[in-house]
Amino acid sequence: MRNVLDRFKYNGLFVKMFLVMAAGIVAVSVTTTWTTINISSRVFIDTFSITNSKVINQIQSSLDSFNYSIIVTMNKIAQSGTIRQFLTEDDGDSSEMFNAYYLMGQQMNRYRSSVDAYDIGITVTGVNGRRYSTDRSYWPVPDSVLAEHPITKRSLAEPRKLIYSYDDAGASANPGLQPAIIASKALVDRSGAVYGMMYFAVREPYFARFYDSNTSAGNDVAVLDGQGTIVSSNRGDWIGRQSAELLRYAKEIDAKGLRYKNAEVMGKDQLLLAEQLGGLNLYMVNVIDKQQVLGQLTDTRRIALMVMAIVAATVLIVFLISRNLTKSLTRLVKQISTISKYEFDRHVKVDGSYETRQLGIAFNAMIDELNAYVGQLVETQKQRRNAELEALQQQINPHFLYNTLASVKFMVQQGSKDKAAETINALISLLQNAIGNVSEMITVQQELDNLKSYVLINQVRYGERIRVSYFIAPDCLAYRIPKLMIQPFIENAFFHAFNEKAEGYIHIMVTQEGSSLVCEVVDNGDGMNLSGEIPKPVSKRQLFSGIGVRNVNDRIKLLFGEGFGVTITSDIGEGTRVRIRIPLLKPKDPPTF
Amino acid sequence: MKKLIGLLVICVLVLSACSSKSNDTADNGNSSGGNGGDKASKITVWAWDPNFNIKAMNLAKDAYAAKDPNLTVDIIENAQNDIVQKLNTGMSSGTTKGLPNIVLIEDYRAQSFLQAYPDMFYDLSGSIKAEDFADYKLGPTSVDGKHYGVPFDSGVAGLYVRTDYLEQAGYKISDLQDITWDQYIEIGKKVKAATGKDWISLDPNDLGVIRMMIQSAGLWYLDADGKTPNIANNAAMKEAFEVYKKLMGANIVKTHSDWSSLVANYNTGAVASIPTGNWFTPSITAEASQSGKWAIAPMPKLAKTPNSVHATSIGGSSWYVLNVPGKEKAAAFLKDTFGSDVDLYQKFVTDVGAIGTYKPAASGEAFSAANEFFGGQKIVSDFANWTTKIPNVNYGLHTYAIEDILIVEIQNFLNGKPLDDVLKDAQSQADAQVK
Repeated sequence: MRNVLDRFKYNGLFVKMFLVMAAGIVAVSVTTTWTTINISSRVFIDTFSITNSKVINQIQSSLDSFNYSIIVTMNKIAQSGTIRQFLTEDDGDSSEMFNAYYLMGQQMNRYRSSVDAYDIGITVTGVNGRRYSTDRSYWPVPDSVLAEHPITKRSLAEPRKLIYSYDDAGASANPGLQPAIIASKALVDRSGAVYGMMYFAVREPYFARFYDSNTSAGNDVAVLDGQGTIVSSNRGDWIGRQSAELLRYAKEIDAKGLRYKNAEVMGKDQLLLAEQLGGLNLYMVNVIDKQQVLGQLTDTRRIALMVMAIVAATVLIVFLISRNLTKSLTRLVKQISTISKYEFDRHVKVDGSYETRQLGIAFNAMIDELNAYVGQLVETQKQRRNAELEALQQQINPHFLYNTLASVKFMVQQGSKDKAAETINALISLLQNAIGNVSEMITVQQELDNLKSYVLINQVRYGERIRVSYFIAPDCLAYRIPKLMIQPFIENAFFHAFNEKAEGYIHIMVTQEGSSLVCEVVDNGDGMNLSGEIPKPVSKRQLFSGIGVRNVNDRIKLLFGEGFGVTITSDIGEGTRVRIRIPLLKPKDPPTF
Repeated sequence: MKKLIGLLVICVLVLSACSSKSNDTADNGNSSGGNGGDKASKITVWAWDPNFNIKAMNLAKDAYAAKDPNLTVDIIENAQNDIVQKLNTGMSSGTTKGLPNIVLIEDYRAQSFLQAYPDMFYDLSGSIKAEDFADYKLGPTSVDGKHYGVPFDSGVAGLYVRTDYLEQAGYKISDLQDITWDQYIEIGKKVKAATGKDWISLDPNDLGVIRMMIQSAGLWYLDADGKTPNIANNAAMKEAFEVYKKLMGANIVKTHSDWSSLVANYNTGAVASIPTGNWFTPSITAEASQSGKWAIAPMPKLAKTPNSVHATSIGGSSWYVLNVPGKEKAAAFLKDTFGSDVDLYQKFVTDVGAIGTYKPAASGEAFSAANEFFGGQKIVSDFANWTTKIPNVNYGLHTYAIEDILIVEIQNFLNGKPLDDVLKDAQSQADAQVK
């Protein structure tokens, strides 16, 4: 989890950049595609609806002439005395009947010829039960059923009106009946009495020919009667269906004079054009399946696939480029962030794009400069400290001087000239070494001489209750040590270790341990409480030089590093042991600063 | 940079591959759709009457499926008038587009098509054995010795009679075996007197009964050349007209105006007999309550006209192959079905009630089966027997044109115009019309 977060942190730039670009590309593609398809669809639908409404007008006019010829023929039949007689008279003998049928046949043949242009079967029935059909195959309803047929009833209810109805096996429960459109009207005499019925039957497929040639897949025509029954359609499965919604839309379009209407019909998104076929009292609805028709114009699936492919390719390219751009940057950032935690002197790897390389170079240059600056600073600090210590080393406490000189004066007054001379000599030697010798490093031998002189002077001044013995390994005498390195500890032992004890000893040992030189100052004095640290100087009163115990430790560390220095162990009443460790320095070796 | 260009090239390739692939599939869709309409593997048939011709053709299609399962036979039902109209329109314009491979044509009209459009029909002389079919069917289907049609149903006619009515008048079916039309009328009068039922039902606008009478004498509306009207000096026609008027005068005729009302007249038991084609059988048997009450006698013959026999025809139809792509397949189809399949003809009898004119089929068992509806009479066998005796006439080119004239003239004759004048007027009208 943490890893993932880390990764995200380092790749944040890439992720953001990529996401924004990818989202942008997708958004632009989708919007463009959608808009293009939409605009072309709208333009197409507009054009389509104009064309189709013209087609509908054309269909309407051919249907009008169809309707007109039916009306004309109906009128002729209604006015024919022969037919009226045929339909009302009683059966006579063979000859009379034969004659009546003959005349009826001749008459009907003439009337039929006026609708000969259309495939129409004319049936007339009379109140006397006679029926004459020019061709029954168009609408083969048995005589027994015809009187009770819904179409008959509908026409009898409105005897003066020409009614177009739909009939098939399902609609009137006559098995084997093909879908047909029936124009029916009652035959009425002047007194208003109905003496017969006329039926003009057209098979639905024939009726469909009026518009069939103008339909295509997704561009369907349905003809509805006043009850919402689809009486004719190029779609076989629609014929005979009841569709109230289609009728409602058709009426709405007709009433409002709309050019077209978008609606959800038959479970699909459709474009509807409608026209009332005036004389027929039918509605013709042009149902255009938008999806299918537009599908022919714009292969949406194909466009979508292509756009998707282009988008995928672009996103891939963007991915690779931005990854390439940010990868080196990310690596650089990673390196930099680890560097700041650990080392200052490590350089970052310079690679990647031009910008990243320049950044890396600049960063490396900065690191170099910083490094140099820090080194310089450390050096300066070191030199300053050294100078300070050197200065301290040169300083001889004036108290020491005049105390010593006061002691010599007493010796001379007491007459011990030899002792005075010895003390003066020791003082001279001490001063010579401390002030006169300018070199910082001196041999163990020289330091030993200094110590001896210093001890002599102190013993002269304070008596010989503290004995000092030297155990110097002879092979160590030639090694070099910082000047006045051991002296402060002797001084310390003299003035602080024997406050309670009256007398004791101080051992000074110098030996070689491995590659380092060890100097030990051991006393059997009072001892002290140590908390692991070198005690702070109590006062400066009795100091010989400016150098104190603490300074020695600092100086050694400054000169030789952290591995060297002063360690003090002490037990109350047992004494104190000071151990100084420095590297072995050959006489010829110059001091390493 | 190089990497980038490479990537772009790959993208372009991939994209173009995608789009070309979708093109391919679209093309495949189109081409497979085109194959569906391949003319070689599909033939179209036009016929009328779903209960008879269409049914028979479907049987043939099923039988042929075993021989050539790849052939699709598309059978389209059209009204006979539509077929005539479409054939005339298509053939006279010279375009064969939209025309079927096989078409059913009524024998009366066949010559008018065969002679008017000789190039439009495919010669089937090599496909069928003409001598295997009834002689009288070869006249209408052939021109100049070339056979263009495969004869289908026999129009052989018989006299359907209600035996129960007959018995009420004191007759038996055996009394009708060898009678003239005059005897037929006499029996009719007695039946009407005994039962009150009419003897025959006629349509004043259809002279089928006249046609049957004259063909039984080997004569027709036209001379043997098929072109010259033969009315005024036609002895058979003259006698037929007289018989017709006698029928009316005897007041034993019921009238009908079309097929349905004709059938209704018999199914209701209102009329006792009908001289008509064998295809009337299914209509009679449809009324199950009359089972056992019917018999079929040979046709009456004309008494005065020489050569008149007890066998005649009332039409029928035959299959023709049009000279359009796929004609070889269509010819092969007809050859193996209507042209030679004896078993298929048995099925026509049992399943459709259609009696073919293929002579070898008459020996099949369906032909010799007894029909219980007709009191155990072997009606198919009888019809097949009569079929062979039908006189061959040339229906010629103008059968219906002349009939239209005769329909009018026969009314004049019934209304009192002298017969010779009637025939003379009809002859002169016919001469004027067909020349």
